Amino acid sequence: MAFRISLGRYVPADSPIHRLDPRAKIVCGVALMVSVFFIQTPVQLAFGWACALALVLASRVPAGKVLESIRPVIAVLMVLSLFNLLLVTSGDTLVSFGPLRITTDGLWAAVNYSLRLVVAVIAANLILLTTTPTQLTDAFDALLAPLSRIGLPGHEIAMVFSLMLRFIPTIADEASAIVDAQTARGGALAEGSPIRRVRAVVPVIVALLASSLRHANGLSRALDARCYEGGAARGHWHPLQMHPSDWLALAVTAAYVVVLISLG
Amino acid sequence: MTRPTLSLSHVTLRYEHGITALDDVTLDVAEGERVCILGPNGSGKSTLASVLCGLLAPDEGCVMLVGELACTSVGVDFDAYRRARRRLGLVFQNPDDQIVTSVVEEDVAFGPENLGVPSEQIGERVARELHRVALDRYAQADPSRLSGGQKQRVAIAGALAMEPQVLVLDEPGALLDVRGRRGIMRVMDKLHDAGTTIIHVTHFMEEALAADRVVILDKGRLVLQGTPQKVFSHSEELVSLGLEEPFVSRLAEALQARDVTVPWTCDEDQLLDSICSVTSEAMPADGQAKRPRDQLMRAREGSYRLAGASSEDAIRADSLSYSYGDTDAREDRRPALDGISFRIPRGSMTAIVGQTGSGKSTLLRLLCALEAPDAGTLVVDGIPSNGRRQRRQLHGHVGYVMQHPERQLFAETVWEDVAYGPTNLGLPAQEIERRCHEALALVGLLGRELSSPFHLSGGQQRLCALAGILAMEPRILVLDEPTAGLDPHGRAQLRAIITDIHARGTTVIQVTHSMDDAAMAEQVIVLNEGRVLLDGSPAEVFSPSTEQTLRESGLGLPDALAWAMRLEDAGVPVGTPLSIDELADAIANLVHEEVEHGL
Repeated sequence: MAFRISLGRYVPADSPIHRLDPRAKIVCGVALMVSVFFIQTPVQLAFGWACALALVLASRVPAGKVLESIRPVIAVLMVLSLFNLLLVTSGDTLVSFGPLRITTDGLWAAVNYSLRLVVAVIAANLILLTTTPTQLTDAFDALLAPLSRIGLPGHEIAMVFSLMLRFIPTIADEASAIVDAQTARGGALAEGSPIRRVRAVVPVIVALLASSLRHANGLSRALDARCYEGGAARGHWHPLQMHPSDWLALAVTAAYVVVLISLG
Repeated sequence: MTRPTLSLSHVTLRYEHGITALDDVTLDVAEGERVCILGPNGSGKSTLASVLCGLLAPDEGCVMLVGELACTSVGVDFDAYRRARRRLGLVFQNPDDQIVTSVVEEDVAFGPENLGVPSEQIGERVARELHRVALDRYAQADPSRLSGGQKQRVAIAGALAMEPQVLVLDEPGALLDVRGRRGIMRVMDKLHDAGTTIIHVTHFMEEALAADRVVILDKGRLVLQGTPQKVFSHSEELVSLGLEEPFVSRLAEALQARDVTVPWTCDEDQLLDSICSVTSEAMPADGQAKRPRDQLMRAREGSYRLAGASSEDAIRADSLSYSYGDTDAREDRRPALDGISFRIPRGSMTAIVGQTGSGKSTLLRLLCALEAPDAGTLVVDGIPSNGRRQRRQLHGHVGYVMQHPERQLFAETVWEDVAYGPTNLGLPAQEIERRCHEALALVGLLGRELSSPFHLSGGQQRLCALAGILAMEPRILVLDEPTAGLDPHGRAQLRAIITDIHARGTTVIQVTHSMDDAAMAEQVIVLNEGRVLLDGSPAEVFSPSTEQTLRESGLGLPDALAWAMRLEDAGVPVGTPLSIDELADAIANLVHEEVEHGL
């Protein structure tokens, strides 16, 4: 069994999206994500999708990478669709078996809820795919600055977030190595009765926890050795600076949200 | 005398549970000096490295780091430590833990950013250091896609970008292959030439030869120090500490034991000259070899073929292919294994070699029935591994010791962990008990059954994990780099256990980075880019005629053979020995035979 998680791995390229100031990018991205909840009609959905696809094109990230990052949420969206399909009972009845009724509203909800969420997922992933973890940290740092001012660890939260992204693939590789090892010892995760499977999880989880602690120890030694002392004295190789293009991006995003809502 | 760059005097450091990691250590390091620290596992090397780069303050003693008096009998001066740390760099074992971002150049810039270096200077430093470690082309790459050696070089560049006065390297090559280690050594040589002070902790004696001074630690005490020549001449003391000598001095000793009059040395060129002069004295003027070199080789091949033909196959692979296809997020969609065929006789000892990415690990996963081949057939212990049921059945036949198997430990006690496999096999309690007992006896961990596996030392953890697999009594044992990261004593111990298991009739297959280990096997399979490059007895695979092929795929020759070829070039024909004893015998024969001839 292999866990090859590619969630949010930065893809280097030279595109207008890559060049955006990460703060502007995050604000635009969050606006896009929130705006999908206003999508109610087919026209809005089409408009949202068109914009999302245009952004993917503009980012010069290979479409395969974007698809890959959507794949993990497909199962969740399918379940969501199914629930909508079966539980929404307003509108005209299309088919009914016994207590179950599939209605026009249910069908539309099933389609709309999952498709509009895909737009949000694309927006979120584009941020991760076009922004280096360092830029992300710097941006969160800047955006969380108000928190720091009231005494909360804004910079540290940003740093932890960035380290988490960095260690996902490492821990995933380790997890698959441990699953291999325990499987070869007869503790198969993917076979046997449910009880057997649940029992097989323990040796993997405990070993993985021990492994993560080892990484944490190593990482803390590395951060100390590289004189990381939190945000205060830190300099920046590429200091964040808002350019006219960043303001333009914010303006375009605002216009998009207004148009989207007005289409409803 | 100028002031030393680093100075420790009477430093003692204790961890909780009363473990004394450093015991009255006094050490001065001069500017520009290259100091190598050796010692068995648990001797306090890493602790000493941490003290020297200002990450740990001792309990007693004085510490002076790059001109800052950081720790005195009065107490610890944390500000002095902070100032000192900005001029001390550290690189340690696991490159994965040292890389904090997912773009190479951003990672190199992390240190200078922390120091508050102006942004325009950071760019210069990043470019300069990436060039120094020969990774210019990878500035934009994702470190997790690089090889271990490249990652470690990123870590070194990251430390160097902070422009440290002293660079401390704590076993930087422990998790790397030969090629990766060579790359690190090259970088260290360059730094040394540029005047950087280097502290290098290592388990590889060969690497210590390049140092100005070697320091040996044992149980936290500094027991021996001096030039490599001086330190390695204390051979008995080294062996009693669980260390070994470099190949050169072991060869010199082996020759002395065979009455060949060469002086003891650990300098390659010097030994080569001495051997040339003793053999030329003994040899007739024409200097022609009396024994054709391939005589020995043919004899060895014959015995291998015989042994191979008499037994049935433990493993037979026919045009085996496997590719990770779309479950793999990598850009690289080449098949990991591309139609490979080979057979491994029952009861044999086989080594699989190849550089990172050659398909070794994938092959092991297939052999251990963790994956089904895409195409071709694979028959393991008489069972074809295509079906799910058969694969499950195979888990009891094939024991798989993964890389760093100590990572699989999970139970509360050593006993429980070892019993996990046999319990899964559904054996009766009495049988489980017998097997656990036997496996623990075999690896020498009897008496530790009730300890937590997490409280064992690194070497013992590995043995415990190995016992967990041996307790399943596999007919085929598959090991992925079993000696990686161990000290010389641990390596020797593990080799002895593997030899023992093999002698009991188990088929042993191991992936190894060490050509010397591979030369000790009965069969060697060389993989390159998912294909079998060479397959045969060690004498067939390692020979002057295959050297070029091996080099092209990033591999080398066993030390003894590499030496024999150098001697051959210098006019001393010694055939194609694969071990130090064969080489010493060949040289001794040449000297003694010719002397008799002359009389």
